[in-house]
Amino acid sequence: MNQFEIIDISGDVGIKAFGKSLEELFANAAIGMYSLITALEGIEPEKSINVSIESNSLEGLLVSWLNELVFQFDTYGFIGKKIVITGITPSLTLPPRGGVMGGGGICTLKATISGEEFDTERHERKLLIKAATYHRLKVEKVKDIWQADIIFDI
Amino acid sequence: MLPEKLKRIDDTKIEVPADYKPGMRVKGIIYVDEILEKDLESHSIDQVANVATLPGIVNASMAMPDVHTGYGFAIGGVAAFDLDEGIVSPGGVGYDINCGVRLLMTNLKKIDIVPKLKDLVSVLYNEIPSGVGSKGKIRLTPDSERRLMLNGARWAVEEGYGEMSDLERIESGGCIDGADPDLISKKAYERGRAQQGTLGSGNHFLEIQYVDEIYDEKSANAIGLFEGQVTVMIHTGSRGFGHQVCTDFLEVMERAVSKYKIELPDRELACAPYKSPEAQDYLAAMRAAANYAWANRQCIMHWTREAFMEFFGTSPRELGMSLVYDVAHNIAKVEEHIVNGRKKKLVVHRKGATRAFPPGHPDLPDAYKQTGQPVLIPGDMGRASFVLIGTEKAMNETFGSTCHGAGRVMSRHQAIRKARGRAIWREMEDRGIIVRSAGRETLAEEMSEAYKDVSDVVDVVHRAGISKRVARLRPMGVIKG
Repeated sequence: MNQFEIIDISGDVGIKAFGKSLEELFANAAIGMYSLITALEGIEPEKSINVSIESNSLEGLLVSWLNELVFQFDTYGFIGKKIVITGITPSLTLPPRGGVMGGGGICTLKATISGEEFDTERHERKLLIKAATYHRLKVEKVKDIWQADIIFDI
Repeated sequence: MLPEKLKRIDDTKIEVPADYKPGMRVKGIIYVDEILEKDLESHSIDQVANVATLPGIVNASMAMPDVHTGYGFAIGGVAAFDLDEGIVSPGGVGYDINCGVRLLMTNLKKIDIVPKLKDLVSVLYNEIPSGVGSKGKIRLTPDSERRLMLNGARWAVEEGYGEMSDLERIESGGCIDGADPDLISKKAYERGRAQQGTLGSGNHFLEIQYVDEIYDEKSANAIGLFEGQVTVMIHTGSRGFGHQVCTDFLEVMERAVSKYKIELPDRELACAPYKSPEAQDYLAAMRAAANYAWANRQCIMHWTREAFMEFFGTSPRELGMSLVYDVAHNIAKVEEHIVNGRKKKLVVHRKGATRAFPPGHPDLPDAYKQTGQPVLIPGDMGRASFVLIGTEKAMNETFGSTCHGAGRVMSRHQAIRKARGRAIWREMEDRGIIVRSAGRETLAEEMSEAYKDVSDVVDVVHRAGISKRVARLRPMGVIKG
């Protein structure tokens, strides 16, 4: 299982992320996004930040999670390398596509991200991501593997 | 091949009939000729049709010849909505609120700068913050950020970036009324704090150009353009500040869709009734971001003038460095238009489309009352950009709108693959164009072949009469993010 693949569309760019669990899926989606911004080999896990996210759907949670990381990068220059997601709730059922989790309930995520401050002298500058979007957004389980498609506005 | 239901109206436009998709309230019109029709994506056609289903849409859902698939609304889209029945949608503006273009002219001639071009490009590259992770030279306090949101380019001028006389040569005077800093999230404040006066990345650029062809001598004279003249074009927007405003309000709009029971063919069209608090709040926040963008282009222009002054050891006045105009191409504005013979206020969404007001329009500054509004159309870094002028026909057909650029034909990765083993900067240099970019892959992504030929796009709007060609500009020095 790959962590992620690039989705190539005209104008923008996206990733298809994979994971054996939702936690792994969300972490791989973040790594995929970071790898569009820079070459991750050059990033050291020097400091950590904690984030907690909530949304009323699993897909919404994925978008909000990645947009939080876009915000952290674009505002503070923080770029992550190692991601530990301590829990996504609820994580047992998946609503119908685009539907609301658990009858209007709230999905939450807590994560610790280790990385460092982006340095234009040392780190490769790839794409400037404006946002993670709902365009062609998909979170689903295929056989035993969770998959997510997400397109970024570049 | 066009889908069967589409009808060619004339050699510059096709109709997406109102029965193309269930729920369409009006028809769609796509301005393409037979050349650009070949690049028309089926998704873009669907998106034009989807927008036609939105409540209160007036006349038609339109797309300009540089149309391509976007987020909900196609890029190149123009849609106007009734203020009583209609909606406002952040997807109809885009993430980069008030992304736009400004053109600065000089009294230098091409031959004056060719021998020094490489050095001049280096000076500008060092002077203008650009690229992923770059930091601006300005740090905004919360208070100065508030004033910036309320005053736009005027804020910049008051801070010493440019001259008061610049303001009248900016769309909306560089400041749109009705911005409300209290509706801006803490995140957007934070994100905007260090990004004022930065170019960004992607297709944003600063270009040294020269006028290589004049099509309309009279208008060119009135504007001050002449053959061989050096110009500088700046293409950027509201940076992370605007992106955060869009991100914040898409969540608000998602909730509004269920609250107001709006049926949408695509959730990316999330919107709220114009008169609802959600729509009014979005518009007030969007205006703050639009003002941020006008200030941004003003600061960058100021540093460009300074760099020229230092480089040539003279004053900007002696160099004749005056602003031609500044246009927004991602914005929603309340404007007066004629609908069924009557004057009516509408909220016009232009997403990848440029305002193109005709001579005599009350919103134009005195300098352009006779000529009409200058329209600035950037092309790719290797080919050309254009100056056009707004027309009465645009008022009648497209709510005073025209195209905004070339539009991509190749994805970024396709472009990178195509550029593998090539030195794009050297190919450009062989053609007399000096390029500098912060990102290693930016030049590959942005190479000419990745874009439609802007001349084809401009040809269509010119022939359709929704703006008129005045001059063509060729790139000489390009700074990319």
